[in-house]
Amino acid sequence: MSDDARAAPDRWSGLRRLLGEPLLLALILLAALVLFVLPLGSVGRLALFATGGGSDAFVAALSSRSVQRALWHSLESSALAATLAAVVGGALGLLIGLSDLRGRVALSFAILMLIMIPPHVTAIAWMQMLGPSSVLLQALGMAPAPGTTNPLYSREGVIGLLALQQVPIVYLTMRAALRTLPRDLAEAARVNGAGPGRLLIRVILPLMAPAMLAGFALAFVSALGNFGVPALLGIPGRYVTLPVLMWQRLASSGPSVLVDMAVLAVLIGVLAVVAVSAQMRLTRAWSVALIGPPQQPLRLTLGRARRFVEVGLWAVLALVVLAPMLAMLATALVPTYGVRLSLQTATLDHFREVIFNQVVTVRAFANSAGLSIVAGAVVAGLALALGALQRGPFGGSARAVTTLAEIAYAVPGLVISVAFIIAFLKPLPGLGVSIYGTHWIILGAYLAAFLALGLKPVGVAYAALDPALEDAARVSGAAFWRRLWRIDAPLIAPAAASGAVLVMLTAWNEVTLSSILWARGTETLGTVIFNYEDGGYSTLASAMSIVSVLATLALMVLLHRVGRNLPPGIIPWRD
Amino acid sequence: MRRMILSTLAALTLSTAALADVTGNLVLYTSQPNEDAQKTVDAFMAANPGVTVEWVRDGTPKIMAKFRAELEAGAPQADVLLIADSVTMEGLKAEGLLMAHPDADISAYEPGIMDADKSWFATKLITTGIVYNTSAPVQPASYADLTAADVTAAFMMPSPLASGAATIHMVALTDVPELGWGFYETLAKQGAVADGGNGGVLKAVAGGEKLYGFLVDFLAIREAAKGAPVKFVFPTEGVSAVSEPVAILADTKNPDAAKAFVDFLISAPGQQLTADMGYLPAHPAIAPPEGFPARDTIKILPFDPAKALTDEAANKARFTEMFGG
Repeated sequence: MSDDARAAPDRWSGLRRLLGEPLLLALILLAALVLFVLPLGSVGRLALFATGGGSDAFVAALSSRSVQRALWHSLESSALAATLAAVVGGALGLLIGLSDLRGRVALSFAILMLIMIPPHVTAIAWMQMLGPSSVLLQALGMAPAPGTTNPLYSREGVIGLLALQQVPIVYLTMRAALRTLPRDLAEAARVNGAGPGRLLIRVILPLMAPAMLAGFALAFVSALGNFGVPALLGIPGRYVTLPVLMWQRLASSGPSVLVDMAVLAVLIGVLAVVAVSAQMRLTRAWSVALIGPPQQPLRLTLGRARRFVEVGLWAVLALVVLAPMLAMLATALVPTYGVRLSLQTATLDHFREVIFNQVVTVRAFANSAGLSIVAGAVVAGLALALGALQRGPFGGSARAVTTLAEIAYAVPGLVISVAFIIAFLKPLPGLGVSIYGTHWIILGAYLAAFLALGLKPVGVAYAALDPALEDAARVSGAAFWRRLWRIDAPLIAPAAASGAVLVMLTAWNEVTLSSILWARGTETLGTVIFNYEDGGYSTLASAMSIVSVLATLALMVLLHRVGRNLPPGIIPWRD
Repeated sequence: MRRMILSTLAALTLSTAALADVTGNLVLYTSQPNEDAQKTVDAFMAANPGVTVEWVRDGTPKIMAKFRAELEAGAPQADVLLIADSVTMEGLKAEGLLMAHPDADISAYEPGIMDADKSWFATKLITTGIVYNTSAPVQPASYADLTAADVTAAFMMPSPLASGAATIHMVALTDVPELGWGFYETLAKQGAVADGGNGGVLKAVAGGEKLYGFLVDFLAIREAAKGAPVKFVFPTEGVSAVSEPVAILADTKNPDAAKAFVDFLISAPGQQLTADMGYLPAHPAIAPPEGFPARDTIKILPFDPAKALTDEAANKARFTEMFGG
């Protein structure tokens, strides 16, 4: 009797311990299984072992004229776009990061707009700015002659817009690296008589090389997976990239081509992962251990040139960010495509149509809002849990899940959506229902593709957490969940929230994942805008795009507010 | 006199619809342009207030891909299909995916245009010919005229990967001895663009980005009547034609409403609505809309549906290799 009484608390505490970290780990592993292992695994299985798959299928795919062409276009456009972006983004990073320009946060915010406006919207806006029926150019009397093909429907158009979208990625990598640059080095160089030019070439640039390379690789991978730009500009321009080819085949032929799609998915997925790991290896080889804590970045004075640089930068940003948006707004305001905009012709009908009349668009706004909020919240929760596990005895498993998330982030979005179709098209075993065509499959794809985005800020915040807090709580007898809830959660919350908003922004803007996962009732904002433009309804596509860009801006301002008290590096445009 | 017959017919159809008293939800998958799909559905719901129709619109190949995927997932969504061509319908019928509607009244129609087993029903006649921008330097009268290098450079066609009518057009044209696949090869080599559906071609030609294109008749004729700078040509070699058939799917959860929808489309008022929207109606007694030539003057290119069905994948692959999509 007394033995039992003594044994009972032990048994209970054993169970309690099991319900702590091990339970959370089990939940996380289950999530990783559903989000990463199952979908990506089934793509590999189908491509390698299914009938019609295997090495013959790879040979057949690689010897097809259209696949060869698309593969080459993908490599060429991503490499050139990343190079352009590295030059422009790197220069912007150095200029804004090292000089005494005013309004740096505002400048960063404006540069970030380039990536926050989704690719398909950017493509629509630029098409309308530069085409023969450009409302803006017509008003200025500068429109190209009728019969002129839109200059953007070309290899150069695709590469140019891709580069423009990748500029912020390189810019951000540069800014982050500059923040870790010890001031001592620069000061030593200056004491020894080096002028700003020499300082830049002999000290700063060599130290920034790994960051440049990382930025280039990130831009390359991001361009490789881009769908909106090559789909809207490349198809009419006869410049089809691999993701676009996959989308065309899948959208037009359905599940009968899944094996072929799996083969192409493996091809491009491997390409992306190879690019990222090559970059990581090179960065490691090139990087120099810098001594000294991160300090206030260098402020080189531009002197009298400052005003001209500022005016120039803002003018260029207005041209590449604001002007296309105005062109799109103009198209949204004319009664039908091709009519000139004037006070007499301007109408709000298309806005009324997309906001109030079309059932589909109303549904799409609701779906995208719901999906991105839920995805953001779940990612924040997962990031919080993974961070907590990473410190404990299960750190290895947690890091493995993080790596999976990073791979999934590097892999093009279309590969993720193909993977989800392959894994979840058939009814779930035991349940007899399929999640295909429901919100769940889109949510799953969002979580898989965007988890890494939310992990980054939370990782930074966990690293900055004083371990003494955790120890104190443990000594005071707080169990795992209690520590997680009372100690970690409140301290990590701001970082988790900004991670969540980043995920929300990305999900709100995406089209690649839902372009082949949508069904009746689960249309997203991206797919409806894309399908309107694809079907020739440009005025409606423009009106919807304007509304969605306004929502994006509102979210960014919200993020700006939420991130006021966060350490630097979490809110991308903050210093 | 004809007007009187029509209104009697209309009254009859409306009363049978009311007698059937159908209710519930109906899901329609269609390739009609958004605006027309909405009008069709609104008119049907006005005649059948008990039924709520939800619809999804995409090009025929895309909407069929979606349908196939849902079938594979074991959760088919659609009750009724209203898509471009009967070749696709024949394929579905052969697989046993369609539900026949034996009570449908097709006595008014010419034999041969409807399925004899009443599995699918032609709703209109949509031909594909040439459209050009009125500011274009050349006014093409035949397909051969399109192979002039400067014409091809400003030419665009809907992709068979996105449009059912474009698929049939490709099959019909490549069967014409003097054109054949060489014609498409020439267009591709000289820089012709194949992209998206018919809506995209109209937008490009009306907006002046392209000056010539393949297009379905009703879009060109209807928009020209609204003032768009486009003109439709029935080429001398002939036009291809699809009948935009409607069919009930075997998996339908609401066969009564689905049948009512089919009955509505092939009824005289349904056909009048079709004509009012600017389509050539399938019903011989309904007058074609403004802007169309007399029906017997339209030369329709022959084509073999059975062969089209067996060669479908090969044809599309060949096209993709040429045009890159």
